[in-house]
Amino acid sequence: MTKARYLLIVVAVGLLGLVTGLYYWSADDQPSIPEARVASALTTPLATLDGAPTSLDKWHGKVLVVNFWATWCAPCRKEIPEFVRMQQALGAQGLQFVGIAIDDRDKVRTFVREAGINYPILIGELNAVDLAKSLGNDLGALPFTVVFDRNGQVIQTELGATNEAKLRPVLTRLL
Amino acid sequence: MRTNTPPIPHPDIGTDRPLRRLTRWVTGLAGALLIALTAGQAVAARPDLLPAAAAFRLSAELSRDEITVRYDVAPGYYLYRDRFRFDVLPPQVRASSPLLPRGKVKEDEFFGRVEILRNRVVIRIPVALPAGTREVRLKVVSQGCADAGVCYTPQEDDLRLLQGAGATRPAAARDTPHESLLDELRGSPDAGDSKH
Repeated sequence: MTKARYLLIVVAVGLLGLVTGLYYWSADDQPSIPEARVASALTTPLATLDGAPTSLDKWHGKVLVVNFWATWCAPCRKEIPEFVRMQQALGAQGLQFVGIAIDDRDKVRTFVREAGINYPILIGELNAVDLAKSLGNDLGALPFTVVFDRNGQVIQTELGATNEAKLRPVLTRLL
Repeated sequence: MRTNTPPIPHPDIGTDRPLRRLTRWVTGLAGALLIALTAGQAVAARPDLLPAAAAFRLSAELSRDEITVRYDVAPGYYLYRDRFRFDVLPPQVRASSPLLPRGKVKEDEFFGRVEILRNRVVIRIPVALPAGTREVRLKVVSQGCADAGVCYTPQEDDLRLLQGAGATRPAAARDTPHESLLDELRGSPDAGDSKH
């Protein structure tokens, strides 16, 4: 193989790497969830703790962190105090946490009081499990957290407990 | 005795220099690609976690006077002992309280002492079958978690068991809990008696 041909191959491989790298780099910001599915997720009917109908698009324009949880889920209970602190610290800048509990309303109400949760908690039925799945939680496991930007686009998802250290860099960028 | 050896040429000296530079450039790109790939996975699903049906593999068997329920729990996963529910149908079948194995006591920071079951779990349900009945329907609800820090929504399985047919597994993989099940099991670190 001549040196020129070798150089050509090396450059071609490099360019391929660059293109692939850029693709995945951009994918970091946009998990591969179809736009229509996200739009549908944001309008999925949910209910407040008082039973009033609502949906996530109510918070359009905010940086939205949606946390799927349940009182019977220990990892869920563990991460909630950090969400409370972040809501307190960054709420004025446009951050909005919303919890979707797949749980019994009375138990949720008691826990909300005990934990001093300072952001809206919605009650999800089976549709909340489907909602979580549509946002990438194929296993239907908890906790599951989704970060939306102000335009309602999914920026990050996390299956399993998250914390302030993981969320802060993303939120700081979005706020 | 000292001998004079010819000097070793510096690797960057000579006609290969641009080539080496290019190679380094490509290596750098490959590194960036690797980082980008890793970042991409951070927002994707968790490939390290099993679906509930695979994490908690269920089978059951009917004999003349007993239903034997078995769970093969994958390493790194566990079931809560107090969150099982069993329904045996038809109602003419008299089922006694299930005999569950002792679990390992776990001190949970939120729920206090809870018993968890790992590995192979065998649960026996004594039954009295009416004369001529060789088939029963068993509904099982279970709930478990992974050590990796996630909990699965309560899972419901519906099995048709035929006496003498051996172990039966659920017909389809579970992936969605039933509405009735969510109603029934929601909440219950403190609830937990079996129906039978």
